[in-house]
Amino acid sequence: MRFPKTAALSAALMTAAGLAHGAEIEFWYGNTGNVETAILDACTAFNAAQSEHEVSCVGQGGYEVGMQKAIAAYRSGQHPVLIQFFDAGTLDLMLSDAVVPVEELIPDVDWDSYIAGARAYYETSDGRLFSQPYNSSTLLFYTNKTQLEEAGITETPETWEEVIAAARKLEEAGHECPFVTDAHPWRVLEQFAARHGLPIASKHNGYDGLDAEYIFNQGLIAEHLTNLASWREDGLVKLNPDTKAGDYAAAFNSGECAMMEGSSGSYAAAKKAFGDKYGITVTMTPMYEGHERHNTLVGGASIWVMKGHEEAEIEAAKAFLDFLRQPEQQLAFTAATGYVPVTLDALEALKASGKADAPEFATASVGIDTMNQPATEDSRGIRLGFYVQFRDIFMEETQKAFNGDQTMQEALDRAKTRGDELLRRFEQTYQSAKLN
Amino acid sequence: MSNAFFRNRWLPFWLASPQLLVMFLFFYLPVFLAFFWAFHLERPFGGGSQFVGWANFQRVLADQEFWAALRRTVVYMLLASGSSILVALILALAADRAVRLSPLARNLLIWPKAVAIASVGVIFLFIFNPFLGVLAPLNEVFPGIWNPRINPLHTWIMIYIANIWSAIPFTFIILLTGLQAIPETLHKAAAMDGAGPWRRLRDIQLPLLTPQLFVAVVLEVADSLSGSFGLIDTMTQGGPGGATNMLVYKIYVDGFKAYDLSGAATQTAMLMVVVAGITALQYLFLEKRVKYER
Repeated sequence: MRFPKTAALSAALMTAAGLAHGAEIEFWYGNTGNVETAILDACTAFNAAQSEHEVSCVGQGGYEVGMQKAIAAYRSGQHPVLIQFFDAGTLDLMLSDAVVPVEELIPDVDWDSYIAGARAYYETSDGRLFSQPYNSSTLLFYTNKTQLEEAGITETPETWEEVIAAARKLEEAGHECPFVTDAHPWRVLEQFAARHGLPIASKHNGYDGLDAEYIFNQGLIAEHLTNLASWREDGLVKLNPDTKAGDYAAAFNSGECAMMEGSSGSYAAAKKAFGDKYGITVTMTPMYEGHERHNTLVGGASIWVMKGHEEAEIEAAKAFLDFLRQPEQQLAFTAATGYVPVTLDALEALKASGKADAPEFATASVGIDTMNQPATEDSRGIRLGFYVQFRDIFMEETQKAFNGDQTMQEALDRAKTRGDELLRRFEQTYQSAKLN
Repeated sequence: MSNAFFRNRWLPFWLASPQLLVMFLFFYLPVFLAFFWAFHLERPFGGGSQFVGWANFQRVLADQEFWAALRRTVVYMLLASGSSILVALILALAADRAVRLSPLARNLLIWPKAVAIASVGVIFLFIFNPFLGVLAPLNEVFPGIWNPRINPLHTWIMIYIANIWSAIPFTFIILLTGLQAIPETLHKAAAMDGAGPWRRLRDIQLPLLTPQLFVAVVLEVADSLSGSFGLIDTMTQGGPGGATNMLVYKIYVDGFKAYDLSGAATQTAMLMVVVAGITALQYLFLEKRVKYER
């Protein structure tokens, strides 16, 4: 008979599981491609390094999908202990009452070892860290060294003025796509504003209260976006739909476009695609002349501990977080992906290893450098409600401007108005919630 | 209910209960929740939901994006169902007239039914790719003349073609069966009286096809609302610049990508009312002109 055999087998399995002391927990992540491989490697390494706990890492196919599933899972009580969430969801999570701040959960860790640029994004305004930074990236400037040299440009441009001069030279040399961007607000708005020391919203981007208002539709930010639109008219800047690849990073990687602003996490893929064909340069993103450089924001994602789990599971989660924080783990992850190590001890370990100049760590030092520029109250991060939706609105309105349906100024004004409506609704939704 | 069949008066309910349970769990419960959330401000992770009366409705009704999305939805509903029924009708008439190869065509035209709408989207996105697709040579000659990634008109053309392609089989089968059920004697009698093919189409085939046309219209109108989701999601994500953002897609984005559960629920409630209204109108006014008796 079949049934008793199955029953006996499952009974045996249950006993076996009971013998182990630790817990089996799930960790949900969103990345795909080579980053996913690196995450899975870390999970395997953790499970091999000790026998007490077992973490199974479950890919969700994307940050946003991961968040959707987490919301559904949390509402039905099926949520994992550990989950990776992306930067833009930070405030939604802080106010959700669904997570435990890591600093509260594991108080005996030296959290100050995290560099300020990476900490500020994930901590409350009184300085308590909510989540453990994981795949930390920031915005860098990528150039195709070979193509630039062919057009007679020997120095990597450092300012927007130089970038555009280089773009004109490339265009004159017959290059069809000098500079490419997807005009995503993370690149053209948030990182741009932070490094120029400008706020995109009042109350220091919302850090000082939910009653913030968007203020990006003026001054240098508005000027820059208007410039982007007119440079595109001139054929110096291309957007995703203008490229054969249909995607800015793919267009840069294939050599179709010569310069881009991209995440440090794009480095490994670009380097691999370039091979021996092209040389690659990664530097800090360009500034406008006459402006002091401030830090860029940390991007990517961090790991959050969700509420409502048993003690044993929490212990397993702590052990896994401790494991990921180790310098050698961070460096292995950096080498595989181009994400940036974000603790001081990891940086020291990198220096001590003497590999700081190796190609697989090319983004580490420049990434840290750009995140460690002098900070201002407005370059801590973005603390604005329904921010994911705002990003969509920003994309929609600016896309209309790039298509010529409205001017860039009109687009920014409309995005501000629609964004402010979101902020007011968020304020109302979380009326009774306190960020403590 | 008359108890001619069932002596036990509860037996029918017991027999129907599995179906009723499924209907309740997967239809009535979500509908109820949608209306509940429409009157509350709901946090994504739960907790702290508060009653706000009609505030959500006021907000949605004052939102230009909602009206723009509703307008696009209605236009799409009319054009998409109209165009796909018209094309299917022409094909069905041709297949019915026993032109050469029509048995083969009858078979082939059913194949697209086997392709999921999301796959249709991906395939047509590639076919109309401005740099690699069928129109790429045109772009080589006149750069930028075709780019559905930027030009909303091109995007719509692409979506309509994909929709017609995927909607043809079902409507085609319904209409062809209807046409083949029209007695041959009527055609012969009309032909003897000197009626040409066009006249026979207008006075015999179309009037006798009204039941099938009615079914096709009702189903296609409803399908153009929900079926558009797969196409929009795979082909345009509502772009360029929100030009193809229809209500079903907007609801999905608001609810699942932007965590605005209340706003999404409110729009869902309103969409349900619109769809119920349109279907009711169809039955009230269109069905009167349907001739079921032959």
